[in-house]
Amino acid sequence: MNGWTTAATLTFAGGVGATVWGVATGPLRRRVVAQNLSSALACPGLLLLAQGYGRPAYVDLALVLALLGPVGTLVFARLLAEELAADPPASPWATWCAAGFAAVVVLVLCAATGPGRAMVKLLVTGALLTGGNLVASRALAGGFPGGRRG
Amino acid sequence: MNRRTAFRAALGVLGWWVLLAGLWLVFVSAVDTLELVVGGVVAGIAAAAARGARGAVSGR
Amino acid sequence: MDDPAVVVALLLVAAAATTAVAVRDPVRQALVLAVLGLALAVLFTVLQAPDVALSQLAVGSALTPLLLLLSVRKVRRRQKQETKGEPE
Repeated sequence: MNGWTTAATLTFAGGVGATVWGVATGPLRRRVVAQNLSSALACPGLLLLAQGYGRPAYVDLALVLALLGPVGTLVFARLLAEELAADPPASPWATWCAAGFAAVVVLVLCAATGPGRAMVKLLVTGALLTGGNLVASRALAGGFPGGRRG
Repeated sequence: MNRRTAFRAALGVLGWWVLLAGLWLVFVSAVDTLELVVGGVVAGIAAAAARGARGAVSGR
Repeated sequence: MDDPAVVVALLLVAAAATTAVAVRDPVRQALVLAVLGLALAVLFTVLQAPDVALSQLAVGSALTPLLLLLSVRKVRRRQKQETKGEPE
């Protein structure tokens, strides 16, 4: 155990634990938001784990999650469009908190790794994560009405 | 296809190739000759596919 | 088991899996299953099995919900057609 893995454990216990609670209870709009937040919060946790274990290859996990998490949320946004249109989930506060947390984690890890290819990889992962999650939450809130057909 | 569109297509493929090869270069764990060769070839294939997909979407 | 990260990941998996069993509506079950896949990937990572976690992420985060939701949509569409056809 070091500081990085402790921070990752706290992220998983607090952040992902809260999203498990959110996805288990409440109306459908709260559940889809919780599912979106779970990938937005687990990805910084995986980045912290990679730093804590001293294995840069583990960053690939966070990269794949940053790519596929928003894809999963877009699947829900597309196939649940009719249910969500009646009760649109708007969660600007939680979404921006998760994006800010991811940005802070990525910047701290960049400062820890120093300049180089690893830092560029971290920055690409962070950009994919925050951008993907903002797009996914906007799609959940009905921001792309063109995709509502069918 | 006249010369101008051919030039623009080549420029598009080159842009995609630079982007994808740069990403490959960032993501590999160790930079050596084999990685560079494989990355260049794969980025070329993917750049051609991206150009084709772009044309299919815009020219429907 | 002395690593708190393993304990937290195991608790997350247990909570998400119990919820996935307890929830009855298939649509909400798909949402819980997506989170369960994520928790499993975290568990595999803290157990130092990143290759397993990678495939778990690829399957669990997008593919499983897609399959479930597509099946639900198809079943509902068929039910709608049957109820529409019955009175005639």
